Amino acid sequence: MPEATFLDSNELVLNMGPQHPSTHGVLRVILKLDGEKVLGTECVIGYLHRGVEKIAENRTYTMFNPYVDRMDYVAAVSNGLGYCLAAEKLGAVEIPERAQVVRVILTELNRISSHLLWLGTHALDIGAITPVFYCFREREEVLKIFEKYCGARLTTHAFRIGGLQYDTYDNFEQDCLKFCDWFLPKVDEYEELLTTNRIWVARTKGIGILNIEDCKSYGVTGPVIRAAGLEWDLRKAQPYSGYENYDFDIPTAQNGDTYDRYIVRMQEMRQSARIIRQAVGKLPSGAIRGKVAKVFKPAIGEAYQSIEAPKGELGYFIVSDGSTQPYRLRVRPPSFVNLCALDRMCRGALIADVVAIIGTIDIVLGEVDR
Amino acid sequence: MDEIFNSPYYPYLPPLIASVLIILLFPLIAGYIVLLERKVLADLQVRLGPMRVGPYGFLQPLADAVKLLLKEDIIPAAADKWIFWGAPVLSTFTALTAFAVLPLSDKFFVADVNIGILFILAMSSIGILGLIFGGWSSNSKYSLLGSLRSAAQMVSYEVPLGFATVTALMIAGTLSMQGIVHAQQEQGLWFAFGNYGLMLVPAVVFLIAGVAETNRAPFDLPEAESELVAGFHTEYSGFRFALYFLAEYASIFVMCALWVTLFWGGWLRPFPNVGFLEVPLNYGFPILLFVVIGLGCLKGFRRRRMPIEQTVIIGALAGAMFLVAALFAIPAANPYVIGLFWFLLKVFLLVYVFIWFRGTFPRFRYDQLMEVGWTYLIPISIGALIVNGIVFLWTSGS
Amino acid sequence: MRELLRSVFLVDLLKGLWVTFRNQKPSLIYTEEYPKDRPAVAERFRGAPRLNVHPDSNETLCIACNLCALACPEQLIVVTSERNEETRRKELTNFTYDTSRCMFCGLCEDACPVDALELTQDFELAYYTREGAIWDRQMLEEGPLPTEYNY
Repeated sequence: MPEATFLDSNELVLNMGPQHPSTHGVLRVILKLDGEKVLGTECVIGYLHRGVEKIAENRTYTMFNPYVDRMDYVAAVSNGLGYCLAAEKLGAVEIPERAQVVRVILTELNRISSHLLWLGTHALDIGAITPVFYCFREREEVLKIFEKYCGARLTTHAFRIGGLQYDTYDNFEQDCLKFCDWFLPKVDEYEELLTTNRIWVARTKGIGILNIEDCKSYGVTGPVIRAAGLEWDLRKAQPYSGYENYDFDIPTAQNGDTYDRYIVRMQEMRQSARIIRQAVGKLPSGAIRGKVAKVFKPAIGEAYQSIEAPKGELGYFIVSDGSTQPYRLRVRPPSFVNLCALDRMCRGALIADVVAIIGTIDIVLGEVDR
Repeated sequence: MDEIFNSPYYPYLPPLIASVLIILLFPLIAGYIVLLERKVLADLQVRLGPMRVGPYGFLQPLADAVKLLLKEDIIPAAADKWIFWGAPVLSTFTALTAFAVLPLSDKFFVADVNIGILFILAMSSIGILGLIFGGWSSNSKYSLLGSLRSAAQMVSYEVPLGFATVTALMIAGTLSMQGIVHAQQEQGLWFAFGNYGLMLVPAVVFLIAGVAETNRAPFDLPEAESELVAGFHTEYSGFRFALYFLAEYASIFVMCALWVTLFWGGWLRPFPNVGFLEVPLNYGFPILLFVVIGLGCLKGFRRRRMPIEQTVIIGALAGAMFLVAALFAIPAANPYVIGLFWFLLKVFLLVYVFIWFRGTFPRFRYDQLMEVGWTYLIPISIGALIVNGIVFLWTSGS
Repeated sequence: MRELLRSVFLVDLLKGLWVTFRNQKPSLIYTEEYPKDRPAVAERFRGAPRLNVHPDSNETLCIACNLCALACPEQLIVVTSERNEETRRKELTNFTYDTSRCMFCGLCEDACPVDALELTQDFELAYYTREGAIWDRQMLEEGPLPTEYNY
């Protein structure tokens, strides 16, 4: 085969290696390029694989709870919620009202903080270097609330099977309301900085289009499918933890490109603040933990519980063989499934867009690799 | 002393001193422009920036310089050694040579060449070669592609830059940099506000093209970190990288100085021909400015606990500010320094605007970047040239 | 028409510039200069472990029930005890806690029935050797003593 020089317009294979400022973790993407156009991509993952599902087979249900936070380490509270709900479904445990409302508040705060991190890093990849600092400042306030509640900022371990471990601290309601009041004008500030900015629009409109049929065939959920036009949110479709009692909208868009996903996530942040305000308003008193045995031993069976994590549908499938340790625990990570659609979105884009597209799917490698 | 004044070499002495001063001082000034950029970016990003080296991070450039000098000098094995060595030298050389024609003040400058503008544009064009050589000699596919993209961007933005320059030259009537400032003095206004405000268009076009010409955000895709095709300076480390860095900041300074000369009155004060404003603007304003900065330094060190050496430095700085303020108060010395003061003030305001742009805007993709240059800026600058020419002829003819 | 004027006069870009400009107020700076200003952590912060002692008699509160070791997901607590013949109770001899493998989940703190084992608010746990991470009873009772800087 004659030696091709790089000036020939043959296919060029470029490696966007595991160490890269924009791949949000250790993700390796092998790009097949024709000049500057992307012909195909291949993701090589597994650099952060820690065998979480195997670890689950050797820990009791209560012991495994802290490990779950480490998967999607950006939104640890959601992971904990999904796992606790799945285990409670398996063990048929009743959760008291107060625990459900506090869980909703913390999960929505978590959604805001996850979207803030997404916005900051996405803007940073596209070149705007200031929104990341503003977003992290807001995130700092949320993490302070988490720290005051459960003692840790990132790997919160906030929930337990059956309810909560800690009751809310003294100024919890005021802190949450103060945060919502302080935070909503900041979202307006981000919109002012980015939404109508012609450079931002030029970089994100029409990039990485994924329509509803493609979303369904790849199994992509979360803000990606909502931006494509389908109003699918597990909080409304299969409500859990009392979400049916709150009044909120599901933001959608039409085109399914990067700009629309940006708009959808910004609106989601606003809706989350709305839910938090309602939940804080109706916080009932009562027990924080349901009746669950000291040693949790569910009956033989299996249960699947999925929640609407900030990144998509996060599902836990637990098979119990009657002992204190699960027989098999399978996590359905939204980032992993959404990443499979990267190839479809990158066809025909330019190299500079690949970075924007990876950012817009909102992946966290801890979840992709587990 | 008489021998010095009468010797045939005397006319060469002030420019020689000026150029030696510039060559010696400019690395320091470039280092402080870097510190300014870091502090201003930090301010925009609600954080502090460098704070540890020296009071409020003031000695950070020295630490950076020492670090870059002490780094290991790595040359890729397959690189073309002489061109690898020569590329940053070429970039730095052309950037610093452009300083020779900058009208720093009416009394203090290196040379007043009667084709000054042409000289600067020529130097910036040759500077592009430094980039290309850097990418070529690195012997890496991606460095070469990055440097070629960078060079293509710079070459294509030179066209609107040139048209905007010509618009200002048309009104000034001369190519010499000092002559342009004198023309603004004669007309009594800074060119950006000339022609009933129509000159704002070429001024803005020049600003945008200048940002693109110096590879700054939002046009910095070729050298952005989050991109795949790495820039031309990937293989450079240590002092060679420092030279490229120096060249980049020197070219930013030159571009800002060019904009100030063409559109903002060079070393003239605001309202240059209004007589009664001379004392408040030429005496009052600089004295006030330096006294306020000096007081700010003093307040700064009382607000934090600092080790003794930092207190000494801030004290010395405050003292220097008061001395400079006193210098401006002396009527005999004022005319010699006031031109330089206004020029540097305006140039640094423009450097701040460049940093402000970097902090605010996302990056253009490469094809969008070229689209902005070719399909928007060139027609607008040509149109502005024609319209301004017609209006100028009409107003000056009648 | 309005859209055209907005795009000609670069209104969107100027709006963005104004947002970053007004965030330059020094009062908005959010940096905490560590180690000059140590952050105030919350009361429930799960930091360095500590074995509490009785304030008056300086005796350890730990009853050597081993519940914390059983609760730990990483099994990094080793509690050794001996039976005191006079009081017919177990007395704590040594308590080993491996902070290098600890994930600060708080399950041991939740499990302790007498509030002897507590995760405190210390977060500066750096050590120079790998063995320095394994804390014995004395280290657990004293706690880590990080260096304070002058400025």
